[in-house]
Amino acid sequence: MNDVASTFKRIPAEDLAWLGTNPVPTKPYYDPAYFELERQSVFLKSWIHVAHLCEVPEPGSFIRCDLEFARASLLIVRGRDDRVRAFHNVCPHRGTQLVDEAAGRQSKFSCPYHMWTFGTDGALLSAPDFDAFHVDKADCSLVSVRLEECGGLLFVNFDQDAPPLRDWLGAYAERLEQMPVARATTFAQYSYDIAANWKLTYDNFQENYHLRFIHPRSGGAGIGGDNQFGYPATMGFEGPHRTQRIWSNPAPDLKPFQRAAAMRGIPPLAEQGLLDLPYGRDYLAFFPNLFIIGTPTQPFSHTVYPISADRSRGVVRVYWVGEDRDASHRFAREYSVAQIRDIHCEDIAMIERGQNGLASGALKHMHFQSMEALCRHLFNEVDSRVQEHARRMGDVL
Amino acid sequence: MSSAPPLLPAGFGDLEPFVSRWAVDGTARRAALRSASTVAEREAFFAAAGPRLDDALASLDAKAFAAYSPADQRLMDLMLSLAHVALAVEIQGPDEVRSAPWRDRMRIDRSTADEGVRPCSN
Ligand code: FES
Ligand SMILES: [Fe+2]
Repeated sequence: MNDVASTFKRIPAEDLAWLGTNPVPTKPYYDPAYFELERQSVFLKSWIHVAHLCEVPEPGSFIRCDLEFARASLLIVRGRDDRVRAFHNVCPHRGTQLVDEAAGRQSKFSCPYHMWTFGTDGALLSAPDFDAFHVDKADCSLVSVRLEECGGLLFVNFDQDAPPLRDWLGAYAERLEQMPVARATTFAQYSYDIAANWKLTYDNFQENYHLRFIHPRSGGAGIGGDNQFGYPATMGFEGPHRTQRIWSNPAPDLKPFQRAAAMRGIPPLAEQGLLDLPYGRDYLAFFPNLFIIGTPTQPFSHTVYPISADRSRGVVRVYWVGEDRDASHRFAREYSVAQIRDIHCEDIAMIERGQNGLASGALKHMHFQSMEALCRHLFNEVDSRVQEHARRMGDVL
Repeated sequence: MSSAPPLLPAGFGDLEPFVSRWAVDGTARRAALRSASTVAEREAFFAAAGPRLDDALASLDAKAFAAYSPADQRLMDLMLSLAHVALAVEIQGPDEVRSAPWRDRMRIDRSTADEGVRPCSN
Protein backbone atom coordinates (compact mmCIF):
# COMPACT_ATOMS: atom_id res chain seq x y z
CA MET A 1 0.00 0.00 0.00
CA ASN A 2 1.21 3.48 -0.80
CA ASP A 3 2.05 6.52 1.32
CA VAL A 4 2.96 4.80 4.54
CA ALA A 5 3.29 7.51 7.17
CA SER A 6 6.42 6.92 9.16
CA THR A 7 5.42 9.38 11.85
CA PHE A 8 2.00 10.30 13.05
CA LYS A 9 0.85 13.91 13.18
CA ARG A 10 -2.23 14.48 15.25
CA ILE A 11 -4.86 16.68 13.62
CA PRO A 12 -4.80 19.97 15.59
CA ALA A 13 -7.93 20.50 17.68
CA GLU A 14 -8.24 24.04 16.23
CA ASP A 15 -8.87 22.54 12.80
CA LEU A 16 -12.00 20.89 14.17
CA ALA A 17 -13.21 23.62 16.51
CA TRP A 18 -15.71 24.87 13.91
CA LEU A 19 -17.81 21.83 14.80
CA GLY A 20 -18.23 23.20 18.31
CA THR A 21 -16.74 22.09 21.57
CA ASN A 22 -19.72 22.08 23.89
CA PRO A 23 -21.03 18.99 25.63
CA VAL A 24 -23.73 17.23 23.59
CA PRO A 25 -27.19 16.50 25.01
CA THR A 26 -27.91 12.84 25.68
CA LYS A 27 -31.65 12.88 25.08
CA PRO A 28 -31.32 12.52 21.30
CA TYR A 29 -29.71 9.15 21.96
CA TYR A 30 -32.64 7.59 23.82
CA ASP A 31 -35.76 9.74 23.68
CA PRO A 32 -38.62 8.23 21.60
CA ALA A 33 -40.01 11.69 20.77
CA TYR A 34 -36.64 12.75 19.36
CA PHE A 35 -36.44 9.52 17.45
CA GLU A 36 -39.80 10.18 15.83
CA LEU A 37 -38.65 13.60 14.64
CA GLU A 38 -35.42 12.05 13.42
CA ARG A 39 -37.35 9.43 11.50
CA GLN A 40 -39.36 12.12 9.76
CA SER A 41 -36.66 14.72 9.18
CA VAL A 42 -33.62 12.50 8.57
CA PHE A 43 -34.55 9.02 7.46
CA LEU A 44 -37.61 9.85 5.39
CA LYS A 45 -35.74 12.75 3.75
CA SER A 46 -32.27 11.34 3.04
CA TRP A 47 -30.90 8.90 0.52
CA ILE A 48 -30.72 5.60 2.36
CA HIS A 49 -28.49 2.76 1.21
CA VAL A 50 -30.46 -0.44 0.70
CA ALA A 51 -28.64 -2.81 -1.63
CA HIS A 52 -25.90 -3.35 -4.19
CA LEU A 53 -26.29 -3.65 -7.96
CA CYS A 54 -24.77 -7.14 -7.88
CA GLU A 55 -27.87 -8.39 -6.05
CA VAL A 56 -30.04 -7.71 -9.07
CA PRO A 57 -27.76 -8.84 -11.90
CA GLU A 58 -30.32 -9.80 -14.54
CA PRO A 59 -33.74 -8.69 -15.76
CA GLY A 60 -36.26 -10.05 -13.29
CA SER A 61 -33.73 -10.31 -10.43
CA PHE A 62 -35.29 -8.91 -7.30
CA ILE A 63 -34.71 -8.51 -3.61
CA ARG A 64 -37.10 -7.67 -0.82
CA CYS A 65 -35.83 -5.02 1.53
CA ASP A 66 -37.59 -4.24 4.80
CA LEU A 67 -36.96 -0.82 6.27
CA GLU A 68 -38.31 -0.51 9.78
CA PHE A 69 -37.87 3.26 9.97
CA ALA A 70 -40.28 3.69 7.06
CA ARG A 71 -42.47 0.81 8.23
CA ALA A 72 -41.97 -0.30 4.66
CA SER A 73 -41.10 -3.39 2.72
CA LEU A 74 -39.59 -2.62 -0.67
CA LEU A 75 -39.33 -4.71 -3.80
CA ILE A 76 -36.18 -3.84 -5.72
CA VAL A 77 -36.22 -5.32 -9.18
CA ARG A 78 -34.29 -5.09 -12.42
CA GLY A 79 -36.75 -4.57 -15.25
CA ARG A 80 -36.76 -6.15 -18.69
CA ASP A 81 -35.45 -2.77 -19.84
CA ASP A 82 -32.46 -3.33 -17.51
CA ARG A 83 -33.46 -0.46 -15.26
CA VAL A 84 -33.46 -1.11 -11.52
CA ARG A 85 -36.52 0.22 -9.70
CA ALA A 86 -37.90 0.18 -6.20
CA PHE A 87 -41.55 -0.31 -5.34
CA HIS A 88 -43.47 -0.67 -2.16
CA ASN A 89 -43.97 -4.39 -1.73
CA VAL A 90 -47.67 -3.75 -1.48
CA CYS A 91 -50.42 -4.91 -3.81
CA PRO A 92 -52.48 -1.91 -4.94
CA HIS A 93 -55.68 -3.98 -4.77
CA ARG A 94 -55.97 -4.26 -1.02
CA GLY A 95 -52.48 -3.91 0.35
CA THR A 96 -51.23 -7.47 0.64
CA GLN A 97 -47.46 -7.82 0.66
CA LEU A 98 -46.62 -9.03 -2.77
CA VAL A 99 -43.32 -10.83 -2.32
CA ASP A 100 -42.39 -13.06 0.57
CA GLU A 101 -38.99 -14.31 -0.63
CA ALA A 102 -35.87 -12.38 0.32
CA ALA A 103 -34.54 -12.57 -3.23
CA GLY A 104 -35.13 -14.35 -6.52
CA ARG A 105 -35.71 -13.96 -10.21
CA GLN A 106 -39.02 -13.90 -12.03
CA SER A 107 -40.61 -12.12 -14.94
CA LYS A 108 -43.88 -11.26 -13.19
CA PHE A 109 -45.09 -10.78 -9.65
CA SER A 110 -48.47 -12.19 -8.73
CA CYS A 111 -50.23 -11.29 -5.53
CA PRO A 112 -51.30 -14.51 -3.82
CA TYR A 113 -54.59 -13.04 -2.56
CA HIS A 114 -56.54 -12.37 -5.77
CA MET A 115 -53.85 -12.87 -8.39
CA TRP A 116 -53.26 -9.34 -9.58
CA THR A 117 -50.10 -9.67 -11.61
CA PHE A 118 -47.43 -7.04 -12.20
CA GLY A 119 -44.50 -6.69 -14.60
CA THR A 120 -40.94 -5.94 -13.61
CA ASP A 121 -41.69 -2.28 -14.34
CA GLY A 122 -44.49 -2.29 -11.76
CA ALA A 123 -47.35 -2.10 -14.27
CA LEU A 124 -50.49 -4.12 -13.62
CA LEU A 125 -50.49 -6.76 -16.35
CA SER A 126 -53.62 -8.66 -15.46
CA ALA A 127 -56.23 -8.97 -12.76
CA PRO A 128 -59.05 -11.54 -12.64
CA ASP A 129 -62.51 -10.13 -13.33
CA PHE A 130 -61.02 -6.66 -13.62
CA ASP A 131 -64.09 -5.27 -15.42
CA ALA A 132 -65.93 -5.41 -12.12
CA PHE A 133 -63.61 -2.78 -10.65
CA HIS A 134 -64.11 0.93 -11.01
CA VAL A 135 -60.55 1.87 -11.84
CA ASP A 136 -58.12 1.88 -14.78
CA LYS A 137 -55.28 -0.59 -14.96
CA ALA A 138 -52.93 2.32 -15.52
CA ASP A 139 -53.82 3.59 -12.07
CA CYS A 140 -53.06 0.27 -10.43
CA SER A 141 -49.28 0.08 -10.85
CA LEU A 142 -47.08 -0.73 -7.90
CA VAL A 143 -46.24 2.37 -5.91
CA SER A 144 -42.69 3.35 -6.78
CA VAL A 145 -40.03 4.71 -4.49
CA ARG A 146 -37.12 6.79 -5.79
CA LEU A 147 -34.04 4.67 -6.32
CA GLU A 148 -30.65 5.83 -7.60
CA GLU A 149 -27.22 4.28 -7.83
CA CYS A 150 -23.66 5.41 -7.24
CA GLY A 151 -20.56 3.27 -7.04
CA GLY A 152 -22.65 0.10 -7.28
CA LEU A 153 -24.62 1.07 -4.19
CA LEU A 154 -28.38 1.49 -4.44
CA PHE A 155 -30.06 4.18 -2.39
CA VAL A 156 -33.75 4.97 -1.94
CA ASN A 157 -35.40 8.19 -0.92
CA PHE A 158 -38.96 8.51 0.37
CA ASP A 159 -38.97 12.25 -0.30
CA GLN A 160 -40.15 13.16 -3.80
CA ASP A 161 -38.54 16.59 -3.45
CA ALA A 162 -35.09 15.44 -2.38
CA PRO A 163 -32.18 16.42 -4.67
CA PRO A 164 -30.75 13.70 -6.94
CA LEU A 165 -28.40 11.21 -5.26
CA ARG A 166 -25.30 12.63 -6.93
CA ASP A 167 -25.98 16.12 -5.67
CA TRP A 168 -26.56 14.67 -2.24
CA LEU A 169 -23.26 12.77 -2.24
CA GLY A 170 -21.36 15.81 -3.50
CA ALA A 171 -17.62 15.42 -4.00
CA TYR A 172 -17.68 12.03 -2.30
CA ALA A 173 -19.57 10.48 -5.22
CA GLU A 174 -16.35 10.26 -7.23
CA ARG A 175 -14.44 8.79 -4.33
CA LEU A 176 -17.11 6.16 -3.83
CA GLU A 177 -16.85 5.25 -7.49
CA GLN A 178 -13.15 4.54 -7.05
CA MET A 179 -13.58 2.20 -4.13
CA PRO A 180 -13.63 -1.60 -4.49
CA VAL A 181 -17.35 -1.65 -3.71
CA ALA A 182 -17.99 0.05 -7.04
CA ARG A 183 -16.56 -2.95 -8.86
CA ALA A 184 -17.92 -5.61 -6.53
CA THR A 185 -19.74 -8.57 -7.99
CA THR A 186 -20.40 -10.41 -4.74
CA PHE A 187 -20.10 -9.99 -1.00
CA ALA A 188 -20.12 -11.65 2.39
CA GLN A 189 -22.55 -10.34 4.96
CA TYR A 190 -23.17 -10.49 8.67
CA SER A 191 -25.78 -8.62 10.61
CA TYR A 192 -26.79 -7.97 14.17
CA ASP A 193 -29.60 -6.62 16.28
CA ILE A 194 -28.55 -4.26 18.98
CA ALA A 195 -30.34 -2.70 21.92
CA ALA A 196 -28.98 0.76 21.20
CA ASN A 197 -29.76 3.97 19.40
CA TRP A 198 -28.56 4.08 15.81
CA LYS A 199 -26.31 7.09 16.41
CA LEU A 200 -24.66 5.59 19.45
CA THR A 201 -24.08 2.43 17.43
CA TYR A 202 -22.78 4.26 14.38
CA ASP A 203 -20.58 6.57 16.47
CA ASN A 204 -18.65 3.64 17.82
CA PHE A 205 -17.33 3.08 14.33
CA GLN A 206 -16.33 6.66 13.73
CA GLU A 207 -13.90 7.14 16.56
CA ASN A 208 -10.63 5.34 17.22
CA TYR A 209 -10.25 6.52 20.82
CA HIS A 210 -11.57 3.15 22.04
CA LEU A 211 -9.38 0.90 19.87
CA ARG A 212 -6.58 0.24 22.30
CA PHE A 213 -8.97 -0.57 25.12
CA ILE A 214 -11.63 -2.57 23.33
CA HIS A 215 -9.57 -4.19 20.58
CA PRO A 216 -6.12 -4.65 22.13
CA ARG A 217 -5.66 -7.93 20.27
CA SER A 218 -8.12 -7.99 17.38
CA GLY A 219 -7.27 -4.42 16.36
CA GLY A 220 -3.65 -4.52 17.40
CA ALA A 221 -2.29 -3.88 13.90
CA GLY A 222 -3.95 -0.47 13.71
CA ILE A 223 -2.38 1.00 16.82
CA GLY A 224 1.20 1.42 17.94
CA GLY A 225 4.37 3.45 17.46
CA ASP A 226 3.74 7.12 17.91
CA ASN A 227 -0.03 6.67 17.47
CA GLN A 228 -1.06 4.67 20.51
CA PHE A 229 -4.72 5.43 19.94
CA GLY A 230 -4.64 4.67 16.21
CA TYR A 231 -6.13 8.08 15.46
CA PRO A 232 -6.83 8.91 11.82
CA ALA A 233 -4.25 10.66 9.68
CA THR A 234 -6.79 13.11 8.27
CA MET A 235 -10.46 13.98 8.53
CA GLY A 236 -12.69 15.76 6.07
CA PHE A 237 -16.27 16.96 5.78
CA GLU A 238 -18.58 17.36 2.81
CA GLY A 239 -22.04 18.66 3.63
CA PRO A 240 -23.62 16.09 5.95
CA HIS A 241 -21.01 13.46 5.03
CA ARG A 242 -17.54 12.97 6.43
CA THR A 243 -14.35 11.03 5.86
CA GLN A 244 -11.19 9.96 7.62
CA ARG A 245 -8.00 8.45 6.34
CA ILE A 246 -6.91 5.49 8.41
CA TRP A 247 -3.41 5.86 9.75
CA SER A 248 -0.92 3.45 8.16
CA ASN A 249 1.03 1.79 10.89
CA PRO A 250 4.60 1.55 9.52
CA ALA A 251 5.29 -1.47 11.73
CA PRO A 252 2.00 -3.29 12.23
CA ASP A 253 2.07 -6.05 14.80
CA LEU A 254 0.95 -8.88 12.53
CA LYS A 255 1.07 -12.45 13.79
CA PRO A 256 2.63 -15.08 11.48
CA PHE A 257 -0.56 -16.90 10.52
CA GLN A 258 -2.40 -13.61 10.17
CA ARG A 259 0.24 -12.36 7.76
CA ALA A 260 0.18 -15.61 5.79
CA ALA A 261 -3.60 -15.48 5.54
CA ALA A 262 -3.57 -11.89 4.29
CA MET A 263 -0.89 -12.67 1.71
CA ARG A 264 -3.08 -15.37 0.18
CA GLY A 265 -5.51 -12.71 -0.95
CA ILE A 266 -2.96 -10.32 -2.43
CA PRO A 267 -2.28 -11.82 -5.90
CA PRO A 268 -5.90 -11.66 -7.09
CA LEU A 269 -6.26 -8.12 -5.72
CA ALA A 270 -3.07 -7.09 -7.52
CA GLU A 271 -4.24 -8.59 -10.79
CA GLN A 272 -7.56 -6.84 -10.47
CA GLY A 273 -5.80 -3.52 -9.90
CA LEU A 274 -7.46 -3.15 -6.51
CA LEU A 275 -4.28 -2.48 -4.56
CA ASP A 276 -3.60 0.86 -6.22
CA LEU A 277 -6.96 2.56 -5.83
CA PRO A 278 -6.63 6.13 -4.52
CA TYR A 279 -8.89 5.84 -1.47
CA GLY A 280 -7.59 2.53 -0.15
CA ARG A 281 -7.05 3.91 3.36
CA ASP A 282 -10.27 5.87 3.51
CA TYR A 283 -13.43 5.65 5.49
CA LEU A 284 -16.31 7.43 3.78
CA ALA A 285 -19.34 8.16 5.94
CA PHE A 286 -22.54 8.92 4.09
CA PHE A 287 -25.20 10.64 6.10
CA PRO A 288 -27.07 9.33 7.88
CA ASN A 289 -26.24 5.69 8.47
CA LEU A 290 -23.74 4.18 6.02
CA PHE A 291 -20.01 4.05 5.89
CA ILE A 292 -17.63 2.40 3.47
CA ILE A 293 -14.04 1.36 3.95
CA GLY A 294 -11.78 1.22 0.91
CA THR A 295 -9.12 -1.12 2.33
CA PRO A 296 -8.57 -3.59 -0.54
CA THR A 297 -8.08 -6.66 1.67
CA GLN A 298 -11.20 -5.84 3.68
CA PRO A 299 -13.45 -3.52 1.68
CA PHE A 300 -16.59 -3.31 3.73
CA SER A 301 -19.73 -1.30 4.21
CA HIS A 302 -21.55 -0.93 7.49
CA THR A 303 -25.11 0.32 7.66
CA VAL A 304 -26.97 0.92 10.90
CA TYR A 305 -30.73 0.86 10.39
CA PRO A 306 -32.76 2.47 13.15
CA ILE A 307 -35.70 0.52 14.55
CA SER A 308 -36.67 2.57 17.57
CA ALA A 309 -34.97 5.05 19.90
CA ASP A 310 -33.06 2.22 21.54
CA ARG A 311 -33.00 -0.55 18.94
CA SER A 312 -31.07 -0.84 15.70
CA ARG A 313 -29.96 -3.37 13.12
CA GLY A 314 -26.44 -3.37 11.76
CA VAL A 315 -25.46 -4.88 8.43
CA VAL A 316 -21.82 -5.38 7.48
CA ARG A 317 -20.87 -6.42 3.98
CA VAL A 318 -17.42 -7.26 2.74
CA TYR A 319 -17.47 -6.58 -0.98
CA TRP A 320 -15.47 -8.70 -3.39
CA VAL A 321 -14.68 -8.47 -7.08
CA GLY A 322 -15.21 -11.81 -8.81
CA GLU A 323 -15.98 -15.24 -7.43
CA ASP A 324 -13.43 -17.13 -5.35
CA ARG A 325 -10.93 -18.22 -7.97
CA ASP A 326 -9.20 -20.99 -6.03
CA ALA A 327 -8.67 -22.42 -2.56
CA SER A 328 -6.17 -19.75 -1.52
CA HIS A 329 -8.49 -16.99 -2.58
CA ARG A 330 -11.42 -18.57 -0.75
CA PHE A 331 -9.33 -19.05 2.34
CA ALA A 332 -8.13 -15.41 2.35
CA ARG A 333 -11.68 -14.14 2.06
CA GLU A 334 -12.94 -16.41 4.83
CA TYR A 335 -10.18 -15.19 7.12
CA SER A 336 -10.75 -11.54 6.21
CA VAL A 337 -14.46 -11.66 6.99
CA ALA A 338 -13.97 -13.59 10.24
CA GLN A 339 -11.28 -11.14 11.32
CA ILE A 340 -13.37 -8.03 10.89
CA ARG A 341 -16.29 -9.74 12.61
CA ASP A 342 -14.03 -10.35 15.60
CA ILE A 343 -13.40 -6.64 15.89
CA HIS A 344 -17.02 -5.66 15.46
CA CYS A 345 -18.33 -8.05 18.08
CA GLU A 346 -16.16 -6.40 20.71
CA ASP A 347 -17.85 -3.10 19.93
CA ILE A 348 -21.38 -4.40 20.41
CA ALA A 349 -20.85 -5.02 24.10
CA MET A 350 -19.71 -1.45 24.75
CA ILE A 351 -22.46 0.12 22.68
CA GLU A 352 -25.20 -1.60 24.67
CA ARG A 353 -23.56 -0.59 27.93
CA GLY A 354 -23.52 2.98 26.69
CA GLN A 355 -27.20 2.82 25.83
CA ASN A 356 -28.07 1.50 29.27
CA GLY A 357 -26.16 4.32 30.88
CA LEU A 358 -27.65 7.05 28.74
CA ALA A 359 -31.20 5.73 28.98
CA SER A 360 -31.05 6.04 32.77
CA GLY A 361 -31.20 9.79 32.32
CA ALA A 362 -28.33 10.20 34.77
CA LEU A 363 -26.47 12.43 32.31
CA LYS A 364 -27.90 15.51 30.69
CA HIS A 365 -24.83 15.79 28.50
CA MET A 366 -21.90 13.77 27.23
CA HIS A 367 -18.57 14.81 25.80
CA PHE A 368 -16.75 14.45 22.51
CA GLN A 369 -13.06 15.23 22.27
CA SER A 370 -11.50 16.52 19.06
CA MET A 371 -10.66 13.00 17.86
CA GLU A 372 -14.36 12.19 18.22
CA ALA A 373 -15.15 14.97 15.78
CA LEU A 374 -16.94 12.69 13.35
CA CYS A 375 -19.42 11.75 16.08
CA ARG A 376 -19.99 15.41 16.81
CA HIS A 377 -20.49 16.14 13.14
CA LEU A 378 -23.15 13.44 12.88
CA PHE A 379 -24.95 14.86 15.90
CA ASN A 380 -24.79 18.38 14.47
CA GLU A 381 -26.17 17.26 11.13
CA VAL A 382 -28.98 15.26 12.70
CA ASP A 383 -29.87 17.84 15.28
CA SER A 384 -30.10 20.75 12.87
CA ARG A 385 -32.62 18.77 10.81
CA VAL A 386 -34.57 17.68 13.85
CA GLN A 387 -34.71 21.18 15.31
CA GLU A 388 -35.77 22.67 12.00
CA HIS A 389 -38.46 20.05 11.60
CA ALA A 390 -39.68 20.56 15.16
CA ARG A 391 -39.94 24.31 14.57
CA ARG A 392 -42.01 23.73 11.49
CA MET A 393 -44.25 21.30 13.32
CA GLY A 394 -44.55 23.68 16.25
CA ASP A 395 -43.08 21.08 18.57
CA VAL A 396 -40.97 22.07 21.50
CA LEU A 397 -38.05 19.79 22.20
CA MET B 1 -9.94 -56.28 4.44
CA SER B 2 -10.49 -53.54 1.90
CA SER B 3 -9.63 -50.09 3.17
CA ALA B 4 -12.19 -47.25 3.25
CA PRO B 5 -11.44 -44.36 0.87
CA PRO B 6 -9.13 -41.88 2.58
CA LEU B 7 -10.80 -38.98 4.35
CA LEU B 8 -8.24 -36.52 3.03
CA PRO B 9 -6.04 -36.34 -0.08
CA ALA B 10 -2.76 -38.26 -0.02
CA GLY B 11 -0.17 -36.64 2.18
CA PHE B 12 -2.62 -35.19 4.67
CA GLY B 13 -3.22 -38.30 6.78
CA ASP B 14 -1.88 -36.45 9.82
CA LEU B 15 -4.96 -34.20 9.75
CA GLU B 16 -7.50 -37.05 9.56
CA PRO B 17 -8.17 -37.03 13.33
CA PHE B 18 -9.53 -33.49 12.92
CA VAL B 19 -11.92 -34.17 10.06
CA SER B 20 -15.00 -35.23 11.97
CA ARG B 21 -14.87 -32.18 14.20
CA TRP B 22 -13.64 -29.44 11.88
CA ALA B 23 -14.44 -30.30 8.24
CA VAL B 24 -17.68 -28.38 8.27
CA ASP B 25 -19.44 -26.75 5.34
CA GLY B 26 -20.70 -23.18 5.49
CA THR B 27 -19.03 -20.10 6.92
CA ALA B 28 -21.72 -19.63 9.57
CA ARG B 29 -21.36 -23.23 10.77
CA ARG B 30 -17.58 -22.88 10.93
CA ALA B 31 -17.91 -19.68 12.93
CA ALA B 32 -20.39 -21.37 15.29
CA LEU B 33 -18.07 -24.32 15.73
CA ARG B 34 -15.27 -22.00 16.76
CA SER B 35 -17.49 -20.75 19.59
CA ALA B 36 -18.77 -24.19 20.53
CA SER B 37 -15.33 -25.80 20.75
CA THR B 38 -13.04 -25.85 23.76
CA VAL B 39 -9.77 -23.99 24.14
CA ALA B 40 -7.94 -27.32 24.08
CA GLU B 41 -9.65 -28.44 20.88
CA ARG B 42 -8.83 -25.17 19.15
CA GLU B 43 -5.23 -25.20 20.26
CA ALA B 44 -4.71 -28.79 19.17
CA PHE B 45 -6.25 -28.13 15.77
CA PHE B 46 -4.28 -24.93 15.22
CA ALA B 47 -1.02 -26.61 16.25
CA ALA B 48 -1.57 -29.51 13.86
CA ALA B 49 -3.19 -27.74 10.88
CA GLY B 50 -1.52 -24.32 10.97
CA PRO B 51 1.82 -25.63 9.66
CA ARG B 52 -0.02 -27.55 6.90
CA LEU B 53 -1.83 -24.54 5.44
CA ASP B 54 0.66 -23.91 2.63
CA ASP B 55 0.74 -27.54 1.53
CA ALA B 56 -3.02 -27.89 1.70
CA LEU B 57 -3.72 -24.77 -0.32
CA ALA B 58 -1.02 -25.65 -2.86
CA SER B 59 -2.64 -29.04 -3.37
CA LEU B 60 -6.15 -27.58 -3.66
CA ASP B 61 -5.16 -24.62 -5.83
CA ALA B 62 -4.19 -27.06 -8.56
CA LYS B 63 -7.87 -27.92 -9.05
CA ALA B 64 -11.04 -26.06 -9.88
CA PHE B 65 -13.69 -26.21 -7.13
CA ALA B 66 -15.96 -28.25 -9.40
CA ALA B 67 -13.24 -30.90 -9.74
CA TYR B 68 -12.83 -31.43 -5.99
CA SER B 69 -13.15 -34.97 -4.74
CA PRO B 70 -14.96 -35.44 -1.41
CA ALA B 71 -11.50 -35.69 0.19
CA ASP B 72 -10.46 -32.37 -1.40
CA GLN B 73 -13.63 -30.75 -0.17
CA ARG B 74 -12.96 -31.97 3.36
CA LEU B 75 -9.45 -30.56 3.20
CA MET B 76 -10.82 -27.23 1.96
CA ASP B 77 -13.42 -27.11 4.74
CA LEU B 78 -10.73 -28.02 7.24
CA MET B 79 -8.59 -25.09 6.11
CA LEU B 80 -11.57 -22.74 6.18
CA SER B 81 -12.28 -23.80 9.77
CA LEU B 82 -8.63 -23.18 10.46
CA ALA B 83 -9.13 -19.55 9.43
CA HIS B 84 -11.62 -19.13 12.27
CA VAL B 85 -9.65 -21.13 14.76
CA ALA B 86 -6.44 -19.26 13.98
CA LEU B 87 -8.13 -16.01 14.91
CA ALA B 88 -9.20 -17.53 18.21
CA VAL B 89 -5.82 -18.99 19.08
CA GLU B 90 -3.28 -16.66 17.51
CA ILE B 91 -5.02 -13.30 17.84
CA GLN B 92 -7.71 -13.39 20.49
CA GLY B 93 -6.03 -15.78 22.90
CA PRO B 94 -7.30 -14.98 26.39
CA ASP B 95 -9.98 -12.62 24.98
CA GLU B 96 -11.60 -15.39 22.95
CA VAL B 97 -13.90 -16.74 25.63
CA ARG B 98 -15.15 -13.31 26.61
CA SER B 99 -15.91 -12.14 23.10
CA ALA B 100 -17.53 -15.36 21.83
CA PRO B 101 -21.10 -14.59 23.01
CA TRP B 102 -20.97 -11.16 21.37
CA ARG B 103 -19.55 -12.60 18.18
CA ASP B 104 -22.34 -15.15 18.02
CA ARG B 105 -24.81 -12.29 17.87
CA MET B 106 -23.36 -11.26 14.52
CA ARG B 107 -25.19 -13.66 12.25
CA ILE B 108 -23.30 -14.60 9.13
CA ASP B 109 -25.86 -14.25 6.36
CA ARG B 110 -23.73 -15.23 3.39
CA SER B 111 -20.17 -15.64 2.18
CA THR B 112 -18.51 -16.47 -1.10
CA ALA B 113 -17.45 -19.86 0.29
CA ASP B 114 -21.12 -20.76 0.76
CA GLU B 115 -21.84 -21.41 -2.90
CA GLY B 116 -23.92 -24.55 -3.09
CA VAL B 117 -23.91 -24.99 0.68
CA ARG B 118 -27.13 -25.76 2.57
CA PRO B 119 -28.35 -22.69 4.40
CA CYS B 120 -27.65 -22.17 8.07
CA SER B 121 -29.71 -20.03 10.40
CA ASN B 122 -27.09 -19.02 12.92
S1 FES C 1 -54.74 -7.85 -2.39
FE1 FES C 1 -53.45 -8.36 -4.03
S2 FES C 1 -54.76 -9.17 -5.48
FE2 FES C 1 -56.07 -8.64 -3.86
FE1 LIG D 1 -14.39 -0.74 17.65
